[in-house]
Amino acid sequence: MSADSNVAGVGVNGAKENHLINFIKDNATLIALIVLVIGLSFADDAFFTARNLSNLSRQVTIIGIIAVGMTMVILIAGIDLSVGSVVGLSAVVCTLMMQYGVPTVLAVPATLLVVGVGIGAWNGFWIAKFNIPPFIITLGMLTIARGLALTLTNGSSVPVTSDVFPLIGGAYIPPMMSSIVLIVCAALAVYSIFRDVQQSRAHGVEVNMQELLVNGAVMIGGFALAFHVFTSYKGIPVPVAIFAVIAFAGIYTLNSTRFGRRLYALGGNEDAARLSGINVVRTKMIVYTVISVLSALAGIILASRLNGASPNLGTMFELDAIAAVVIGGTSLAGGSGRVSGTIIGALLIGVLNNGMSLLGVVTFYQLIIKGLIIILAVWFDVMQKKK
Amino acid sequence: MSEVVLKMQGIIKDFPGVRALNNVNFEARSGELLALMGENGAGKSTLMKVLSGVWPYPTYEGDIYLRGERVRFANTKEAEAAGIGIIYQELNLIPGLSVAENIFLDRQFTDAKGRINWNQTFAETQKLLTELGINDIRPTDLVQNITVGKQQMVEIAKALSLKAEILVLDEPTSALTDKEVKDLFRIIRKLKADGVCMCYISHKMEEIEQIADRIAVLRDGQTIGEVTPIADITLDQIIARMVGRDIKDMFPKVDFTPGEVTLEVNDLSVTNPDMPGSYLVKNASFVARKGEILGISGLMGAGRTELVGGVFGAYPDQTTGEVKLNGQKLEIKSPKDAIEAGIALLTEDRKALGLFLDKSISFNTTISSLETISSKVLGIINTQQERKVVKEYVDQLGVKTPSIDTVIGTLSGGNQQKVILGKWLNSKPDVFILDEPTRGIDIGAKVEIYKLLNELVQQGVTVIMISSELPEVLGMCDRILVMCEGEIVSNFERDDAKKEAIMAYATGSA
Repeated sequence: MSADSNVAGVGVNGAKENHLINFIKDNATLIALIVLVIGLSFADDAFFTARNLSNLSRQVTIIGIIAVGMTMVILIAGIDLSVGSVVGLSAVVCTLMMQYGVPTVLAVPATLLVVGVGIGAWNGFWIAKFNIPPFIITLGMLTIARGLALTLTNGSSVPVTSDVFPLIGGAYIPPMMSSIVLIVCAALAVYSIFRDVQQSRAHGVEVNMQELLVNGAVMIGGFALAFHVFTSYKGIPVPVAIFAVIAFAGIYTLNSTRFGRRLYALGGNEDAARLSGINVVRTKMIVYTVISVLSALAGIILASRLNGASPNLGTMFELDAIAAVVIGGTSLAGGSGRVSGTIIGALLIGVLNNGMSLLGVVTFYQLIIKGLIIILAVWFDVMQKKK
Repeated sequence: MSEVVLKMQGIIKDFPGVRALNNVNFEARSGELLALMGENGAGKSTLMKVLSGVWPYPTYEGDIYLRGERVRFANTKEAEAAGIGIIYQELNLIPGLSVAENIFLDRQFTDAKGRINWNQTFAETQKLLTELGINDIRPTDLVQNITVGKQQMVEIAKALSLKAEILVLDEPTSALTDKEVKDLFRIIRKLKADGVCMCYISHKMEEIEQIADRIAVLRDGQTIGEVTPIADITLDQIIARMVGRDIKDMFPKVDFTPGEVTLEVNDLSVTNPDMPGSYLVKNASFVARKGEILGISGLMGAGRTELVGGVFGAYPDQTTGEVKLNGQKLEIKSPKDAIEAGIALLTEDRKALGLFLDKSISFNTTISSLETISSKVLGIINTQQERKVVKEYVDQLGVKTPSIDTVIGTLSGGNQQKVILGKWLNSKPDVFILDEPTRGIDIGAKVEIYKLLNELVQQGVTVIMISSELPEVLGMCDRILVMCEGEIVSNFERDDAKKEAIMAYATGSA
């Protein structure tokens, strides 16, 4: 009898432990991010200030925007190594156009079209139509685009003379406006969660309370933090707003549209996807075009923030973007992943960069630490899949 | 009576939330072939994994005895050393290595310095093959260049080279041609004579009748009834044990008068991408009518899959010929075109070509008809509507699952197949082509699928069914095409179709 109850006791404890372990496993990146933020807040007084966090959010946007596109690419078991060079080329093309007198309102969309759509469609064409490995095609484009940027500028930087252009990367939405925007968004988010829960209940689908609570807590915490930071320091930076819109569009596309479904299908089983009537060539071409356009946009924002473009802008950005996606839990094998994870991944990398700089860690060490974290994240992912 | 070599007693194996094995008891003797029968999901494969040390002690309960001695394997190596050899459904050979290298993988004969003695390795391999009476495989052949049937022989030779006294064969004939099956049976009979104890897992009653000595039936993780000599049990009794009920009518064919021609295929050819100038399908022409089930019979590799794949636009670059639907010529350049024209194809290889294994039932059901549950403009999916549609198919087809959000990879083969059927029904096809729709699924699910085909036919759908199981073709089809070496060689009406005649055409001997 006592032996039996012992066994039962162990069982219950074991179940509890499993619960906790699963919770940690499911939210590992998020927990790491929170721990890192708390740690840095204690380690350096300058970290948890509205000013620093506002700047940090602005720095994250560049990689963040590219990483949203990279999530889609990796989701279909692809890769795009050319994003960094596209950033450089688009920065150069846009600033050069303005130098030749093209107004900002024309130069920006023209750059997105020529550089973004152009390069993306080219990459997508070879990858989708001729089944050439994306690694090779985009590796080639990495060199080609960088070469074009250097050729166009003859290797030197391009200054910006426009008054409007710097606003894209440097302006702020006034605090009053910002608080209204944030409150409206928070209300909408809460409403959508409630509606989802209700609909699930109506269809007799069990609601995962743990997931719901985590999502709710993250959302409320995130909005509260954003509210605090942006209302006490100048308002929401314009690039952050752009990033927020793109991230939301990415999440929505993957969760709730035909196109999103097709990406998961394509990444999960390409043959089955084709035999299910999915236009594989078209879908792939769109994905590679989307990431190139997003990279071009990131290049424009970067040039605007720096008030000028160097042909070497964006070097190695592909690595940070891929790292953000992988740290965020998207599988390199394709078929599974989420943009929300990628955003957390990008934040983690951003916080890490910012924190290490604040603490005065030598850049060389920063590289090493970043590399180790990427390896750790992938190892963690693989271990989890094994169970 | 020969010695009891293997005895499994009270085996219980739990997985999270499921009891896969629930008190399994049986014994097998030397020199006999014990058939282990049961529906998919009955626990046969789990049982074999317990036996082979894949699930080591103490992840299961109960005892395994070899020649009266209790054994508790910690891993597969120990089981191997104890003389247990297992030939899995999916062969475990390395395609790019030779037969000899595969057989003596990691056990090659070496000299004192560790250099491999290839001559001895090849000679030992030859000896093994000769002992087994296999004379059409050379030790130096690359595994990728020999047929699946021969690869299986290599696996058997490998198991025997490991001094296996107990040989487990897990559905060994599922990918073999009739001739290869004959060869396999010849070897099995020889091994029996040599005193090897064999456990043979299979669905196929005909085979069991031919080679089994005794039968053990598993259902829901339990052995049902005693181990029974084949002579003392009828097929109906076996089936009754397997499904827990009598199946009165295995093929519930409903007669229905076929209507006008819907699908017309003229001179369809599919070239072989691996061998330029040769054809997988050659000048195939046929028609299919509204309200009939058209069977396509033939041996494996006869070009049946390629024929329907060609119609479906699966290989647009290799396919020539004309496809008409309801009198209209179709331009099919991709499966998408075919689906839009009203053709559906349920593929033979469920895992590789049909399923998104780590996605939900919902995802798998709606993926080929997302247009019907989403907005025209931005393609925004109406989740409510999706749930409703999926729920309907799950209920209609009797998919056994806790929820429509369940990952499909966790379902049994029969339930997976039902979900795929739902997916294609949801695309509302006029012509529904099914390539081996009942392969690897249990009898209960098979009958449900046959009934569904009847319903479809009554609704005016044209059904085309490829099947390697002759009783199924004879039992369910109104008309039967027979293919041989890429060509349609014969067309039988239901009443004229005889097993022997079909086989004669399929093997090219008619």
